[in-house]
Amino acid sequence: MSDSNSTVRWTLNGTEVENEAGMTIMEAAKVHGVDIPQFCYHPGLSIAGNCRICMVESNRSPKPVISCSERIAEGLEIKTQSEVAVDARNSVMEFQLINHPLDCPVCDKAGECVLQDHSYEHGPDRSRFVEDKNIRHTKELGPTIDIWGNRCIVCTRCVRFCDEISGTGELCVVERGDRSVVDVFPGVPIDNSLAGNTVDICPVGALISSDFKYEARVWNMDKTSSVCGGCSRGCNVEVETLDGFVKRLTPRENLDVNDWWMCDHGRYGWRHLYADSRLESAQHDGQAVSPTGTSGALHQLLSSSSSTAFLVDPYMTCEELHLVRSIANSLGGSTIAGWLPAAGTEETFPGGFKISADKHPNRKGAEHVLGSDLFTASADQLKSALSNGSIDTLVAFVGGDGFEGAGGEWNDLISKAGKRIVFATQQGSWCDGADLVVPATAPLEKEGVWVNEDDRAQRTRSCRSLTSNHFPSELVVLQELQVHMDLRNRPLSAAGIFRELSETSDAFSGHSHSGLGDSGSPLSQRPAAMSSEGGHS
Amino acid sequence: MSFRKIFTPYIHEDKCHSLKFYQSKGGYEQARKALNDWQPDDLIETVKAANLRGRGGAGFPTGVKWGFVPKQVDKPKYLAVNADESEPGTFKDRLIMEKNPHLLLEGIIICCKAVGIHHAYIYIRGEFVFGANRLQNAIDRAYSEGILGENCLGSDFKLDVTVHRGAGAYICGEETGMLTSIEGDRGQPKLKPPFPAVEGLFGCPTVVNNVETLANLPYILEIGAEEYRKIGPENSPGPKLFCVSGHVEKPGVFELPMGVSLRTLIDEHAGGVWKGRKLKAVIPGGSSAHVLTADECDVAMDIESLAAAGTMLGSAGVIVMDETTCMVDALLNIMRFYHHESCGQCTPCREGTGWLEKIAHRIAVGGGRIEDLDLVTEVCDRMVGKTICALADAAAFPAESIVKKFREDFVAAIENGGSPAWVKRHPANTGGAAAHV
Repeated sequence: MSDSNSTVRWTLNGTEVENEAGMTIMEAAKVHGVDIPQFCYHPGLSIAGNCRICMVESNRSPKPVISCSERIAEGLEIKTQSEVAVDARNSVMEFQLINHPLDCPVCDKAGECVLQDHSYEHGPDRSRFVEDKNIRHTKELGPTIDIWGNRCIVCTRCVRFCDEISGTGELCVVERGDRSVVDVFPGVPIDNSLAGNTVDICPVGALISSDFKYEARVWNMDKTSSVCGGCSRGCNVEVETLDGFVKRLTPRENLDVNDWWMCDHGRYGWRHLYADSRLESAQHDGQAVSPTGTSGALHQLLSSSSSTAFLVDPYMTCEELHLVRSIANSLGGSTIAGWLPAAGTEETFPGGFKISADKHPNRKGAEHVLGSDLFTASADQLKSALSNGSIDTLVAFVGGDGFEGAGGEWNDLISKAGKRIVFATQQGSWCDGADLVVPATAPLEKEGVWVNEDDRAQRTRSCRSLTSNHFPSELVVLQELQVHMDLRNRPLSAAGIFRELSETSDAFSGHSHSGLGDSGSPLSQRPAAMSSEGGHS
Repeated sequence: MSFRKIFTPYIHEDKCHSLKFYQSKGGYEQARKALNDWQPDDLIETVKAANLRGRGGAGFPTGVKWGFVPKQVDKPKYLAVNADESEPGTFKDRLIMEKNPHLLLEGIIICCKAVGIHHAYIYIRGEFVFGANRLQNAIDRAYSEGILGENCLGSDFKLDVTVHRGAGAYICGEETGMLTSIEGDRGQPKLKPPFPAVEGLFGCPTVVNNVETLANLPYILEIGAEEYRKIGPENSPGPKLFCVSGHVEKPGVFELPMGVSLRTLIDEHAGGVWKGRKLKAVIPGGSSAHVLTADECDVAMDIESLAAAGTMLGSAGVIVMDETTCMVDALLNIMRFYHHESCGQCTPCREGTGWLEKIAHRIAVGGGRIEDLDLVTEVCDRMVGKTICALADAAAFPAESIVKKFREDFVAAIENGGSPAWVKRHPANTGGAAAHV
């Protein structure tokens, strides 16, 4: 017997092991490095037990049991590699494939398809099925989701997602037997803010994103682990690019932030990166400035300024804001304020997922770096200083998707400064008449740390390809400016700047880029004795 | 003691379904005693002692099933009466509901008293329009006479009975499939555990019993467990309704003691094989059972004997096939049913039932290959015991046994370019369908 009630001693493939009571065989086996295949099982959804691929041999049952739903028990003996278990898996694979069209060469899921993976590992190398395959519908289920019914294996992950996570319940299984297929009710398309997740969790190519359809073979894309800048939730995402261009965003598992999901606003919200109005090069008095000359022009304008104000945006990383602070400090007598775009609406879902009303990925971080009154008292002071013309030079950061600049009121006020330096992602009225326009990076192109609404620091990483001929990021331009101002010998990586920040700021002290890793950390949770690390990662 | 019919003694009499008639024959006396004189635990013990076994197909001991329901729960408990009788070859519950509906209601009252249930649902097959109306009329009458409702038969026991009509799906006769259907969802079986006795209808403890099972209860109370056990074999006693259909002179429902010989049932009660022909095959317990050859028919019709013979009593739907039957066509007919009725939830059943039908169809129309016979057996092996409910088993059992026991019919169909019926209709095309495979 085990020593405590909370652990269970059982046997996995002949080895006696211990696990916490209440775990399923599948979860417990994973702890011991035994991966059991799965189609219908998803950790974020209820157990359906319908695909049967996870069947294993048990000493407690004459038939193989499904490891996604059976729980471990004292004395249970499970075999995952016995003849019974292997044959059960192989038979499920054979059944799954008989009516599957095997159209992998034209299927968008190919390369990341669970059916392909399991077929390779457990499936037969040829089919005994000589009959005609069943035909099921191919159609639009909603504005962003199509279904290729022939590929559907009726695992019902998508149906359960819409029932349990988004709570919208648009999807259902229609028909019976091998005619079963996922569908929507007539006139009720799948159109909710989380719909895109159904494509991610589809283990085959049945649900297809109409946005990504035929855009890329998944194995050709580069992946960057980043953070969505759509709101202050900070969903962990994978940015997938082909030849340097973003093709799609998919959620990255983080149980402290977004579980396995992301919303469609974030998922499809990257088109502005390639808008025609995107700024690609710096302009000084209407003349193009070379990428290497930007910081020089910036230095020239600032060194002749009598009073300088900085207007920062809540999309800037903590590193960029730290650089702005140190530049402003060395200039003397300069002020820093921030602008906030309009708040959106909060959306919460039955599964616990939340889209924040606060659309600013780094408002919290900006307040930590530059003071809690950055967007309030400081902003009001700057507004009045700009309206009465007491600002000689204004350095304005106009980031985000940038189609509206900093918003109506600020756009008018920006033009009241004597001299204007505008870091902008998009062309617009805010650039008109500016002395220097510097192209700015948008979310997904930034390298650094954002702090989300729960005070969690997470690294956002640039999806820009190192080999492409991009304009230098603000991180580089601002550091080059520091070199011109004799504040720095040479530019550092974002990790190096973050170390400087953590050494000067209480809020960030103890944290480092490598410590934050892929999934980030609450600022209050400081790693012990890790201070000497993180300079050159 | 000579055998006394309890379900069907008066079915040929006028108004046999009426409350007045039922009461004139002593109806509701046992329910009245159960409500007023019996303790619930004693009722359960008596049913256990009588060794009443479920008549729906699985043959689970009824009293034991009742015992699984937790005694102290703060949720309501339900009885779900399975009247979805849709197993091919089965038509016994229909007879009870149409001719003797008050017998079922009396059984329901006894069961509900024993388990402490105050709401019973009767899930009746959608096609049984007449039966559903009869049943509803009987329930309405029982309410107006104070047999059901707030004070059942003058006791302080409250019981409501609701008739829920199905919509034509075989899978809703599976107990958890039936529960999801009553709940208003797509009728498909649920994972077990939790079992219905603990978490069934609307998430509450639920007893699921077949119509015929419940109809036994008044008789058990009347004669006592000991006498009841003397009817038929010790291990599965009681009176039983046998449905005989197919190639017999006198098809119908026969009430006989459990354990009657299959040969006697066919030859004496059902008038023997029709048109003076010879017997070829018998499916003894609804289409889900393994088929028996003519030589295997000297078997007692009870749960243990049929299990020993490699088949099952099931719903006691005896389908008789004469010597002119082509077993390829029989297989195709049965597989078409299971393919059509598989709910599509579990992979082996969803894909396997369709595959089996396609193979059977191909052999029947002249495209068969000799290796298909092994393929059928292997596909069946891969379906049995690998799904949430027993529908995959129900499709695989007849398929593997028909192919195994009547292999010569299949070999003939493969060699002659199709089943005899197909060849007769398409003499010119013989072998043509084989060409495309």
